[in-house]
Amino acid sequence: MNRALASGPIVWFGIIVTTCLLLLVFQTALWLVMPVLLAIVCYYIMSPCVNLAMSKGLTRAHAVFIVTVLFCIFLGMVGWIVTPKISEAFNGWKDKQDAYVQDGEKIIRGAQGTLSKYLFFIHPPAPQLPPPAVNRRSSTPVVPVVPSDDIKDSVAKSLNEHSSDIALELLHWIPSLLLVPYLTYFFLLDGPRFKRFLVQAIPNAFFEKTLYLLYRIEDQMRRYFQGLLALTALDTICLGAGLWSLGINAPFLLATVAAVLAWLPYLGSIMGCVMVVLVAAHDVPDNPFLPYWAVGLFILVRLLDDFVFLPLTVGRSLRMHPLVTVLMILLGGAVAGISGLLLVMPVLGVVMVAGQIIGELVTDERILARHRHARELSRLRARADLYAER
Amino acid sequence: MFFRPATSRHPRLNLLKSVVLFKDLSMHELGVVDNLLHERRYLADEVIFDEGEEGQGLFVVLSGRVKTTRQGSTRGVLLEFGPGSFFGEVALLDQSVRSAQARAVEDTLIVSLFRAEFYSLLQTNSAIASRISFQLARALAARLRQVIVQTDQHHGSA
Repeated sequence: MNRALASGPIVWFGIIVTTCLLLLVFQTALWLVMPVLLAIVCYYIMSPCVNLAMSKGLTRAHAVFIVTVLFCIFLGMVGWIVTPKISEAFNGWKDKQDAYVQDGEKIIRGAQGTLSKYLFFIHPPAPQLPPPAVNRRSSTPVVPVVPSDDIKDSVAKSLNEHSSDIALELLHWIPSLLLVPYLTYFFLLDGPRFKRFLVQAIPNAFFEKTLYLLYRIEDQMRRYFQGLLALTALDTICLGAGLWSLGINAPFLLATVAAVLAWLPYLGSIMGCVMVVLVAAHDVPDNPFLPYWAVGLFILVRLLDDFVFLPLTVGRSLRMHPLVTVLMILLGGAVAGISGLLLVMPVLGVVMVAGQIIGELVTDERILARHRHARELSRLRARADLYAER
Repeated sequence: MFFRPATSRHPRLNLLKSVVLFKDLSMHELGVVDNLLHERRYLADEVIFDEGEEGQGLFVVLSGRVKTTRQGSTRGVLLEFGPGSFFGEVALLDQSVRSAQARAVEDTLIVSLFRAEFYSLLQTNSAIASRISFQLARALAARLRQVIVQTDQHHGSA
């Protein structure tokens, strides 16, 4: 087999173009792609449990039913415990956002002041004016017009406007997310049957190769998603332990949110870091160095993540060159925005395996010749008695 | 309906029951294995796999006949397989290449057990997989004995 040709530049060009096209298609049907993706993640979490139940003598249908019900009960219990806290946090968010913005501003001013001492091209921050005085006659506050307050007001206003948009957007996603348990159940129940159904349509000459292709794709996806979950768990533990040692409130909740945000390459990590720093600045206002410690911790965890955890989990599963990974993430972001950043790696992983095997199939003259031979036999059989003498 | 024996409900399971590899399995266990098998139909003279190709699993003949041949071999047909027999079993154990070409002698119905699916069976239903493995080991031992006898005969005649 011509493996060199199969994985050559033309095949790679096809892989990149197909990945970009799929990302564009997925962007338009994100309401369906996201539940399918989450269902695949749930499938890979639950399939070892189904296998375990089947090894105890249960049929596949019973095993899938029991595991799905137990998983839904578990999710329901987690939701029951977490939802009040989230709603409480969301209610308090509007009151707290001014405080978070002020604390964020303080950090920026502090950093600017410190840097201006050492770097000549950075100007020191404008002096902060005292709180607004109250005019006793009119009892209306006299608000001094300073740039920093303008920024603070615009950020607070923008947060106010966007918080309702975010809430609406989340509400839009609820029907789609309800599809997740439904899809997971049928993935678990009918996954093998669906695979056999697909394979039935494959001509005999390509049969073994196609089976191998399906196995490789499934293996790639399983390893990617299991690797991603392992990476999230490792990130959560490291960051949570670090935040706990710094004395920040709800360290493991913050660490979990930051680790899940990190699924979004680059942007997610920055969002997670900003979130942790703001919470650190707000929760312990007496310690001005704490936000810097939090940034340091975040950078340390990112370095661990990039150089130790990622190669051990996701990187190993995709067996991809780091340069290709980074270029494809940038390309995914350019083609399909945030959804492209999120989806590019799993899509590329699957398309890469499919592309390489299809490349091998279409460049294998022997398999093509066997396929032509089988078709010729079939044609001969079909017209065997058409010209028979009566 | 509930009191009918399982055999009458699944004629294909009866066929599988006649295969040496699956003869120790109950009808329920055969049903589990049947869910992993891929059915293929080959026309007379159609190539099933080529010598030197990377094998992915074993094939069980349910009806028809299959012959194996080898390039450069002085013997025309190495082996012929009829209903109930199986071939390509080494591919179930490792990723080695096929040692001969297999071709349908007449219209043939075959089921294939893929290596990855056999490994998953080892994890999920180790009792079933171990019985299949035991029969596979017995069949391989029988073929090894046959080769030894043939080699002895060859040396004796020389």
